[in-house]
Amino acid sequence: MSARPVPPRRLWWLLAGFGVWCSALVFLYAVHAIGCAFAWPAGALRLALAIVLLVHLIAIGWMWRDHGTASPDPSLDSTGAFLHTVIVWTLIAALVTIVLTLGPTLALATCV
Amino acid sequence: MSALRLHRELAAIWATGPGLQRLAAVNHSVIGLRFMATAFVFFAIGGVLGMLTRVQLATPDSDFMDPETYNQVFTVHGSMMLFLFAIPMIEGVAVYLTPKILGTRDFAFPRLTAYGYWCYLFGGTIITLSLVFGVAPNGGWFMYTPLSSNVYTPGVNADVWLLGVTFVEISALTLAVEIVVSILKMRAPGMALDRMPIFGWYMLVTALMMVVAFPPLILGSILLETERAFGLPFFDPKRGGDALLWQHLFWLFGHPDVYIIFLPMAGALSTIIPVFANRRLVGYRAIVVAIIALAFVSFGIWVHHMFTVGIPHLALAFFSAGSAIVAVPTSVQIFAWLATLAHGRPRWDVPMLYVFGFFFIFALGGLTGVMLAIVPFNWQAHDSYFVVAHFHYVVAGALAFPMLAAFYYWLPLLTGRTAVHRLSVPAFWLVFIGFNLTFFLMHLVGLLGMPRRIYTYPGDVGWNWLNLLSSVGGFIMTIGFGLVVIDLLAQFRYGRRVRRDPWRATTFEWAMPIPPAPYAFASLPQVGTAADDSAAGERALSLARGEGYLGFARNGWQETLGVHMTSGAPEQLIVLPRPTYLPLCTALATATAVLAMLFQFYALTLAAALLTAGLFVLAGQSAGLARDYGPLPVGHGVSVPPHTEVAGAPPWWALIFTLVADGTLFASLVFGTFYLWIAAPNWPAAATPAPDLMLALAAIVALVVAAAAARGSLRALATGGSARGWIALAMLALLAAIAACVALIGGIAPPPREHALGATAAALLFYVAVHAGIGLLFLVSNLLRLGAGLVSPLRSMDLRLTRLWLDYTAMTAVIALGLVLALPLLVAMLGPRP
Repeated sequence: MSARPVPPRRLWWLLAGFGVWCSALVFLYAVHAIGCAFAWPAGALRLALAIVLLVHLIAIGWMWRDHGTASPDPSLDSTGAFLHTVIVWTLIAALVTIVLTLGPTLALATCV
Repeated sequence: MSALRLHRELAAIWATGPGLQRLAAVNHSVIGLRFMATAFVFFAIGGVLGMLTRVQLATPDSDFMDPETYNQVFTVHGSMMLFLFAIPMIEGVAVYLTPKILGTRDFAFPRLTAYGYWCYLFGGTIITLSLVFGVAPNGGWFMYTPLSSNVYTPGVNADVWLLGVTFVEISALTLAVEIVVSILKMRAPGMALDRMPIFGWYMLVTALMMVVAFPPLILGSILLETERAFGLPFFDPKRGGDALLWQHLFWLFGHPDVYIIFLPMAGALSTIIPVFANRRLVGYRAIVVAIIALAFVSFGIWVHHMFTVGIPHLALAFFSAGSAIVAVPTSVQIFAWLATLAHGRPRWDVPMLYVFGFFFIFALGGLTGVMLAIVPFNWQAHDSYFVVAHFHYVVAGALAFPMLAAFYYWLPLLTGRTAVHRLSVPAFWLVFIGFNLTFFLMHLVGLLGMPRRIYTYPGDVGWNWLNLLSSVGGFIMTIGFGLVVIDLLAQFRYGRRVRRDPWRATTFEWAMPIPPAPYAFASLPQVGTAADDSAAGERALSLARGEGYLGFARNGWQETLGVHMTSGAPEQLIVLPRPTYLPLCTALATATAVLAMLFQFYALTLAAALLTAGLFVLAGQSAGLARDYGPLPVGHGVSVPPHTEVAGAPPWWALIFTLVADGTLFASLVFGTFYLWIAAPNWPAAATPAPDLMLALAAIVALVVAAAAARGSLRALATGGSARGWIALAMLALLAAIAACVALIGGIAPPPREHALGATAAALLFYVAVHAGIGLLFLVSNLLRLGAGLVSPLRSMDLRLTRLWLDYTAMTAVIALGLVLALPLLVAMLGPRP
């Protein structure tokens, strides 16, 4: 039996990991700007930011569970294995980028 | 069939005619060379302007130029190098090389390539002529407001930049869409994504970045031009605007632009280094991951150009950390290249000299980039010559040295000769030494406190010798570039003759005649595992004999293959358009619109814009095939239908990526609205907005009806009925939506000229009206093509494209009109703000 080609729609997954990173950055920046503009208490603002970050970590964790723990689909051609590897590593890279660039900064003073 | 006979038959179909017919050229080789040659002319002009600034700054208290002339010279130098040299040169390389490297005959939309070139040429000419007439842009290459507003720059100088650069950006955007679609759909049969040359990945990611990066700047330029021309105060703080909105929109483009320049050149390096290292590239997969990461992270750090504008520390830290971490994916590539060299058997030749120059200079530029990513250091060095030194190292390191490596590597493809070493080697060292002498010293003078953009300086502040040596370095570098030009020209006559594929490369551009024929490949190569590592030159003869796919001429068609996106299996026969003057005429109409806007002849602007739209509709009338063909043989026992009869033809994907760009522009507009709401001074306005709910709902309903009618037209076509009634209904609905939007704009409070609140509402409504208007053009084209027999149940692409456009219009209209309706609520929320 010949292998199936990878469906083109799977290419969107190449953008998924860092798409989550972009979303996290935009939402954190927006919530922070709104919080400072409306003088939210520091604790409430920090909590809101932490929730935004957590939601994005859960999203990327879900993607990881979906892709990282699964083997490449054996019914797909060799491009399937290639794309699987690239997608998994973009997810890992995006997760590390979220944690390193957006995590520690939440400990800073909020609106100074 | 003999190779010679096949060549004659294909050349008769694909060649561009002589004399004036050259103006009708659409072939990628012709247009690619024109892009590169034109970019090089602008590079030379920009280089002379750069030298003029160095003459001015060589000594203190210099009277060589007066302040106004200096402002124009350095502004045009920067603008020209970025917008008229760097990006177009990248595009030229992409247009000329990508189809050849991917083993196909041309790009998907040759007429669009030609239109992009003419737009670039005319836009660049407008900017260059403005310098001759003394009305050139004079506010710096990033045109910061409020300096560029008509209060502080009352002449046409800033308008020249805004209109000229936007004109060039249209060119860049059209090419970006074309590159994405061509790479995804037009590769050699069997070239699956994991077998695609790494250059293809680099160009794909770069073009996708361009699709998303350019719209924010296009929007910013439109908003600033409407402020200057019509008084809509988007950036005027006294009337509810905010000057920092411009900086956000500009740097949302500006920072990724650095990587848009870097990545294609990194693609060239990733192609050249393995050839000279005599081994395959190390870390193909890691590099693909790295360039995807780089593409995203480069967008997420635009604020690092704005560290001194007063943004809270916590937000600065996001962008500081991102700016530092962007070095990681960059380093992955550099280590992959070093590993390739370390594990191979490197040989030394002229391209490798420039690769060495790249490593040295880009590493230095990267390190100062990490320094500038750190907020406290950035505050000290901001707007000093340290920054000037940094970005010259990054941009020149990322572009100039790999570009020259690429020229020396690929020029034998055109000339059939190699470089004249007695000129090439001294030229390299002059460029390398001159470059470092010029720009390294700028780090030091910057740390000593010299601000950028000053036209002169006093003689007692300790900057004299550094500036003098920097200027001397500039002249050495210029002599080096002069020698490079002489060397490149001398190569045509005095270079050592070489056989095909002089470097023993494995990419397909070397498997074709030297110089490349207009059809590129007499037959298309099949990619298989066995052939991957064989030298391309060995396959050339069999391809020339027509032993690959499409090794014949048929119906006078310019044929190439469309493939499955991931596997590269042949799935459609793409018939490309022949040479035509339409791209030139359309670009001339567009240029007329731009010039009329510049000189405030607004009626002429409108007429020229309508003419441009009409010419686009006219171009559509000569596209496609007039009857159904069904599957046609393409060689090797394979038959595929023409692109007009398949669902995933290039126009479908082109519209999807165009809508991605359009959606980015819309998102930037929505961002601008919220940004002004949250950050601009003098909000809320004196007058409270009260949009007419019924008119807004009427507009939305009309657009939904138009989208539904488009579906109806498709159903009618599929079932053998008449689609014309549905199309007429969609046209009426769109006219109603436009009328509702115009009425809403007329009733906006506060008036758009009085407060940014009204101006943003007007911009949102105008966006909806313009999209409805473009929808009308789609429908007119549908009617004309139905009448001409170019549409059938099997050839339904036109109606599907219209449906997609109207769906997008309806969706964005719901958001835009919803936001306009929500403005009173948003303004009311500002009450409790401290």
